[in-house]
Amino acid sequence: MNEKEFLYPRRLSPAWWHESRKNRALFLMLFPGVLVLLFYNYLPMFGIIIAFKNFMFHDGNFFTSLFKSEWIGLRNFEFLFKTPDAYVITRNTLLYNLVFITSCTIISLAFAIMLNEIRSQKLSRFYQGSMFLPYFLSWIVASYLLYAFISPDKGFINTTILKSLGKEPIAWYSEPKYWPYIIVLINGWKWIGNNCIIYLSSIIGIDQEFYEAARIDGANRWQQIIHITLPQIMPVIIVMFLIFVGRIFNSDLGLFYQVPRNAGMLYPVTQTIDVYVFNSLMRMGDIGMSSAAALYQSVVGFITILAANYAVRKIDPDSAIF
Amino acid sequence: MKHTKKLVALVLLLGVVMLGATTFAAAPYEIKWYFIGNGQQPDVKLVEDAASKYIQKKGLNATLKMQCYTWGDEYDNRMRMIIASGEKFDICFTSSWANLYKVNVARGAFLDITDLWKKYAPKSRAQLHPAFITGSAIDGRNYAIPANKELAHQWGFWFNKNLVDKYKMDVTKIKTLADAEPFFKIIKEKEPGVIPFQNLHNENAVRVLDFDRIADDYIPAVLYNDSKDMKVLNMLETKEFKEYIELARKYFLAGYVPADAATVSEFVTDIRAGKVFSKIESLKPFADEERTASWGIPCVTVALTQPVVQTRDCTGSMQAISKTSKNPIMALKFLELFNTDKYLNNLINFGIEGKHYIKVSKNVIDYPPGVTAQNSGYKPGTPWMFGNQYLNYFWKGENTSKWEAFKKFNESSISAKSLGFNFDSTPVKNEVAACINVWQTGVAPLVCGAADPKTLPDVIARFKAAGLDKVIAEAQRQLDAWAKKNKK
Amino acid sequence: MRKEQADFNRLSAVSGKTNAVLNIILLGYALICILPLILVVAVSFTDETTLAIHGYRFFPEKFSLYAYEFIFSTGSQVVSAYGITILVTVVGTLLSILIMALYAYPISRSDFKYKNFFTFFLIFTMLFNGGMVSTYLIGVNILKLKDSMWGLIFPYLMNAFWVIILRTFFKTNIPDSLIEAARIDGAGEFTIFFRIVMPLAVPGLATIALFATLQYWNDWFLAALYINDPKLVPLPYLLYQVQTSMQYLLQNSSNIGGMSGDILSKMPSEAARMAMVVIGVGPIVLTFPFFQRYLVKGLTVGAIKG
Repeated sequence: MNEKEFLYPRRLSPAWWHESRKNRALFLMLFPGVLVLLFYNYLPMFGIIIAFKNFMFHDGNFFTSLFKSEWIGLRNFEFLFKTPDAYVITRNTLLYNLVFITSCTIISLAFAIMLNEIRSQKLSRFYQGSMFLPYFLSWIVASYLLYAFISPDKGFINTTILKSLGKEPIAWYSEPKYWPYIIVLINGWKWIGNNCIIYLSSIIGIDQEFYEAARIDGANRWQQIIHITLPQIMPVIIVMFLIFVGRIFNSDLGLFYQVPRNAGMLYPVTQTIDVYVFNSLMRMGDIGMSSAAALYQSVVGFITILAANYAVRKIDPDSAIF
Repeated sequence: MKHTKKLVALVLLLGVVMLGATTFAAAPYEIKWYFIGNGQQPDVKLVEDAASKYIQKKGLNATLKMQCYTWGDEYDNRMRMIIASGEKFDICFTSSWANLYKVNVARGAFLDITDLWKKYAPKSRAQLHPAFITGSAIDGRNYAIPANKELAHQWGFWFNKNLVDKYKMDVTKIKTLADAEPFFKIIKEKEPGVIPFQNLHNENAVRVLDFDRIADDYIPAVLYNDSKDMKVLNMLETKEFKEYIELARKYFLAGYVPADAATVSEFVTDIRAGKVFSKIESLKPFADEERTASWGIPCVTVALTQPVVQTRDCTGSMQAISKTSKNPIMALKFLELFNTDKYLNNLINFGIEGKHYIKVSKNVIDYPPGVTAQNSGYKPGTPWMFGNQYLNYFWKGENTSKWEAFKKFNESSISAKSLGFNFDSTPVKNEVAACINVWQTGVAPLVCGAADPKTLPDVIARFKAAGLDKVIAEAQRQLDAWAKKNKK
Repeated sequence: MRKEQADFNRLSAVSGKTNAVLNIILLGYALICILPLILVVAVSFTDETTLAIHGYRFFPEKFSLYAYEFIFSTGSQVVSAYGITILVTVVGTLLSILIMALYAYPISRSDFKYKNFFTFFLIFTMLFNGGMVSTYLIGVNILKLKDSMWGLIFPYLMNAFWVIILRTFFKTNIPDSLIEAARIDGAGEFTIFFRIVMPLAVPGLATIALFATLQYWNDWFLAALYINDPKLVPLPYLLYQVQTSMQYLLQNSSNIGGMSGDILSKMPSEAARMAMVVIGVGPIVLTFPFFQRYLVKGLTVGAIKG
């Protein structure tokens, strides 16, 4: 250590010098990420204009076509509201998302804590791995597996379980009333393992000294969970929640279109905004309208995440995203 | 000495300039061609090279570059990106069911070739039945060259011959859907594992009604094929439709139709396993031969409608020139050659003689020894798409009188009154989007019989709420204007 | 230290009864998750006709390798596809973890003046998107992603969600005091990052690395957009091509004529679908235990302090 460092930081190097040196290093760290975001995410954002135009090809390239296409304001958005299903699709999207976030969070948390508590590490790892498996399977495969269970003629449930109970086979793909449960269960099956791993690695990172101290104070395991584990991972839980809220108007087409096999009779409970947009625009190929739909979902998600973030910041400023 | 040096230098310079000029002038144009099929074949480069050499020999200073994308979503998604991003290419496959022709024309993606092809591809144009030309025109202008193949369509029954023979059924007596009922009954009673009537929502028997869906396949704005007053109707409100769904419901409740007909779209596996007795199919000459080859089950076909040509038949398989093409004339000239030259057409369809096929007789071919359908290096699988089926060789086993039969079939057909009319959905695109959605939700269960016909009024009401009346009015308006212009 | 932890665990661990109950619950759920995968494997080895007649069964009525033969009949392409996928996954994961962690660290520092700005910069990209067409345009023309490995790697280098998770891990698991202490000792930011933060954040990094690996391994979307050259086709896309064309051919009879019928008549659709899942997902499932090694209580803060 030379003289300069020994006298750090007050006399020879002013505060702002260190601040900017620190900042320079931090900026350097941010640089690669910023580059990627700029080029791949921000640069293409001019495409949002497509939502407001009636896109037609003109001679030249995409840009001249875009420039010359007619500006039609909000007309591309109308199909989202003028349909008789507008209320249904919005309600379905919102309600399912709310149920998803609550059910997944609670169950994943519970599992994560359980996995941390059981004695055998080997078993814990086995459970972790198994829970994560559904995440590997795509929705198409999941839809085939579900079909194997609930197909009206060949399905496992109709041919084996119901028959042995002496009950009539159920036309699963024609009865809407079962599907809210089916969808929530299947969504959970796919995502719980994934969320659980996030919470688990968060729990693992908790400083053991907290537990030491608590144990010395005489707290039992359950109290330790409530007073240490949960509060320590609360930031992660809140962040997951906020991010989810930002996508509150989005839904997974795989879950809502492929799993129910686009069965017409189930639409009142399986049709979400994304399914509606996909169905209508599939044959029309109108990129203006599909851009408009995406923009609509983004804007709503943006407003909700800002509002939620604001609320969180009031309670615990550290947990807010920004 | 000095003079000689200068002279030599001059000659050299001249030589270089001439060389440069010829090389420059001789740079062949690369024709880029996108189409649908079994995917990019391993030996495609061989075929491209052979084709390029041939067309240069024939006077076209060009080389050919082919890119094939697979059936289903891939071709559509790829072409959507390629066209939307303004990529420079020359020719692409388009039709009423893939890389949608109407949609692309409405957005200005294809070049107007109405006059160009009269000049640069006249023979391609002349060999087509006139219905092809009027049928694929939008607002009187042509944007793609249809392939010369069977023109009309006809609906009818496909019967599993094994079962027909087993129970000695006389299926030739069947003239309507209702006539088939006794046969379904027999199968239901005697063959418990077999589906009597495969009436799925995606290949449904409602097609037998043979309405002319002039707006879109998913919009019930229709015309009768022989309409006398050119009035656009709501298909769901016609007598024929109501009768049909009652019948479909009867068949469904009787167990002749699979219980999940409204949700399942795949049927080929069941057919191949021998689990299906009958289905409504699109028929053309020797359709039974083709189905037997595809599915491995011998069959009997019975026609239920007469051959009709609707606009969508003319747009079943076409090649369009992109607006972004740098040399559309060269592309057209190539297509002209392709549609009329037997060697070139069969080269691109089947590959290189000796490597991918061998000639058994003048027009019949077979696989060379050691080569099968699966390991052949070149099998795009799309003869009906490529230009001119009448030029194609026959595979061993195919009936060689097929092309004559096609010609006769085409000539015996009647043309729908709306042939040549193409609906432009832009003025009502919001209502169209909403209606397509109602169709997906509401119509599929009805036509399979999975939904009670009593729910028909609800579906009609939903269509009305989605703006169907506005679409029908707009279609009527466009149709009247078109009819007037074409003096119908 | 491991032994200390083990002892510690046992001292304040749950009672035997509770442990048993927890195990039963977890086992039950684990089984629900594993059984479908076993079914998938079983179906992939079943003869196609028996599938059509009897449906899916855990024990194949008739054993058959035909589905796998059919898929591998494309021969060398499957091998090259595996190669591409492995390369893309390894390079992509390492690169993206580095870039994401480097981004997550500054925004986790509460004394960094611009952290809110950069966080917002990040999250905005998660909410708003320019659309597939404009992204494709930029990708092809400016980033030169077409027919290049880079096209399979670059788009996923920054995942906003994962960066935020990393940031939260950094924030909660690494106390400010530790960083301050290091800074007083004269360490620069990079030193702090690599010597202190990364080792402490191993569980979090391993988690995100797992997700990134999965994303790169399973992705067919980027290939569908940017790859034409058959030599650069990754495995999931190859399988996707087989799957979609197969699906299309099974749903439409009228459009197909001529000799593509030949291929159709032999295609083992259901079994092949499941076989494709096994081929595509199998290898990556086997790497899961590798990641699990890192999902343990790593170095403690105390150890670093010392």
